[in-house]
Amino acid sequence: MQSFITPFSRRSMLRACAAAFIVAAGAGAALAQSQPPITMAINQSPWLNSFVAMVDEYEKETGNKVELDVTPFGGLLEKIRNSVRGAQGAYDIVNVNSLWLSEIYSGGFLAPLGDVQAGYGLPEGVLTYGDTTNWDAEAGTFAGGGALMGVPVNGNVQVLYYNTDIYAKLGLQPPKTWDELLANAQAIQNEGEAYGFVPRAARDSIVYNFTPYLFSHDAAFFRIAGSGKADVVVNSPEALKALETYVKLATESGPPGPGNIAQGELIQLLATGKGAQAIAVIAAWGQLEDPNASRVVGKIDAALLPAGPAGTVASSAGHWVAGIPRNVPPEKQKAALAFLDWFAAKERQVDYVRAGGVPVRGDITGADLGDDAAFRFIGAYSQNAQHAVMGLPFAQAAEASDAMALSLNRAVIGEMTPAQALNQAAADLAGVLERNGFAVTKLPDL
Amino acid sequence: MISNEPSYKERRNKRWIAISLLPAVALFIVLTAFPVVNLLALSFFHVEWREATSAFSFVGLDNYHRLFSTEKVFWDGVRNTAFFAVTAVSCQMVLGFSMALAVRTAGSYGRAMLTGIFLLPIVVPPIVIGTMWRLIMGREFGLANMLLRLLGLGPVDWLGNPDIALASVIFVDIWHWTPFVFLLMLAGLESLDGEVIEAARMDTRSRCQQIRHVVLPMMMPTIIVTLLFRVILSFKVFDEVYLLTSGGPGTATEVVNFSIYRTFFRQDQVGYGSAMSIVTLFAITVVIILARGLAQRRAAQRSTVS
Repeated sequence: MQSFITPFSRRSMLRACAAAFIVAAGAGAALAQSQPPITMAINQSPWLNSFVAMVDEYEKETGNKVELDVTPFGGLLEKIRNSVRGAQGAYDIVNVNSLWLSEIYSGGFLAPLGDVQAGYGLPEGVLTYGDTTNWDAEAGTFAGGGALMGVPVNGNVQVLYYNTDIYAKLGLQPPKTWDELLANAQAIQNEGEAYGFVPRAARDSIVYNFTPYLFSHDAAFFRIAGSGKADVVVNSPEALKALETYVKLATESGPPGPGNIAQGELIQLLATGKGAQAIAVIAAWGQLEDPNASRVVGKIDAALLPAGPAGTVASSAGHWVAGIPRNVPPEKQKAALAFLDWFAAKERQVDYVRAGGVPVRGDITGADLGDDAAFRFIGAYSQNAQHAVMGLPFAQAAEASDAMALSLNRAVIGEMTPAQALNQAAADLAGVLERNGFAVTKLPDL
Repeated sequence: MISNEPSYKERRNKRWIAISLLPAVALFIVLTAFPVVNLLALSFFHVEWREATSAFSFVGLDNYHRLFSTEKVFWDGVRNTAFFAVTAVSCQMVLGFSMALAVRTAGSYGRAMLTGIFLLPIVVPPIVIGTMWRLIMGREFGLANMLLRLLGLGPVDWLGNPDIALASVIFVDIWHWTPFVFLLMLAGLESLDGEVIEAARMDTRSRCQQIRHVVLPMMMPTIIVTLLFRVILSFKVFDEVYLLTSGGPGTATEVVNFSIYRTFFRQDQVGYGSAMSIVTLFAITVVIILARGLAQRRAAQRSTVS
């Protein structure tokens, strides 16, 4: 068969093909690098690998680059402060723990996402964890109507963990109220095989862990009563009931020395089967289901936290929100938002859960995960996430938390009665608020 | 006429001395004086961040007033740190000196072996020490309680019981820092005049007498320097408390540095944290000056007597 392509035209054809290939490759490269590379400051937590998997997926899918600067939890806040307080930031995204959100938001370090991309809002289905993604600069607190400051990247709320083997043996049901939880704990403790309930009452984390007890009793630490005004209500009769419940659970049905039990000890007791119930962050799930680190793989389940006397449920928000600093160039800010928006989409969040992460959406169900038993926590997680609360929603949260922590811890170790502890906590909290410009009213001592 | 004016050579020497001291003075100013002056200045301010800009408000002595009138945790830390310093350093001095004497009198093989064993804790990084002892002293799964159980004794809550938590931290500090004392004491013993020791051996009736009346007085300069080192370092205790107990339960193991860390870094109260730091710095300086003064007075008295 005669060829219609002459040697000349064949050469031309080859040249044309080569040119077309180069142009196509160039276009591809341009597409692959549609966003400049970005750097993110992130913590070295158990869920880090799942986030790294998502970054890999993003880079593969889009060709954009995301560099992670991984730092242990203890040093991350200082790194973030150093970066966002400088004239030019080192990080295009900073991963902010819920405990630090008010400080970082109120300092004006982050660009509202609506400024990065006009009209940007969180994708539907993404959780706000008690409106902690939004900041009302005027009122100096979190508020749904405030500016959107970040996208959650890990929804670390508290859940109630329980050992299903022990529950089955004793014929127990997941508790719906604090009284039921206490009854379960005492039944398990009396049986003598495991501690009925493992409290997390070490001084550094006690305020965070007392928060669900307090809020489910329809109490609070303080309430904003208008611009620059605050009512300290931590020593209310409802709060007293909450602290009595907390102390009772910590001292009557758990291991001795609860005043020094931190998250590490709590997970250790659950993972070895020595603790039957505990309230802890959902991020602990991975460790409890890890055959190399746990003796209770497949024997732990999660539930909604118990309700207070009026049926109120509260779970402390311990999530992470990724913010975009003001002090990075606009093109980097846009690239950062492109990544965060990609990450929050439902299909990516399903992948994130499969990789071991905690989703930031409330619309992921067991069915989305193929009803795999490994993800049986998802229902309890979504329920608790809907009840997430921030106990101290103002800029000096860390100072206020430390001020009250000592009294609460002393109540647990028996150095103070619950009423004395709450009166002292109220006085200390009022001091912090007054020093920071609030006009404070306080309840009479209990 | 004889002029009192310094000669050209003397002036040149003085100039040269001044120039050669300049780098050291510059380093001292940049690395020591400036940070302290900056810390002192900060202690008179309240620092806030608004619109990504720092706002310094001059508050005079308010931070100091607050520290001396309403602060509780810091002063609990001061009390614990003082107790910690006295107890831990006393034990370390006695143990370190005894270990140095044992090594000094051992044969060459035993000497090398004992020195190696005794020095082991000091080469372990503090973060490893904290983690290791937290595992050993854990109530449920700790090695210490496992050994107690073998002896039929009940578990002890080494770090969770407020009555013994500080003692547990002190024990770890003794374990960690006694080798440091041992090393300095051994160096001091090695430098003693052999002839004097030999003469003392013949002139005294027992080894105790020899140590009490000859070795100890001769070792006094080394002992004082070591004591000063250890007191200063023990006031700086942080990592062991941070890793073992985080200052709890209650304020049972709170120490000064932990209070400062929490105030300065976690709570971001730069002005108040600076006031705490200045008070601590001042107190330690006074302790050092007093200790040195006492040592010098004692040395002067001794030389007058002799």
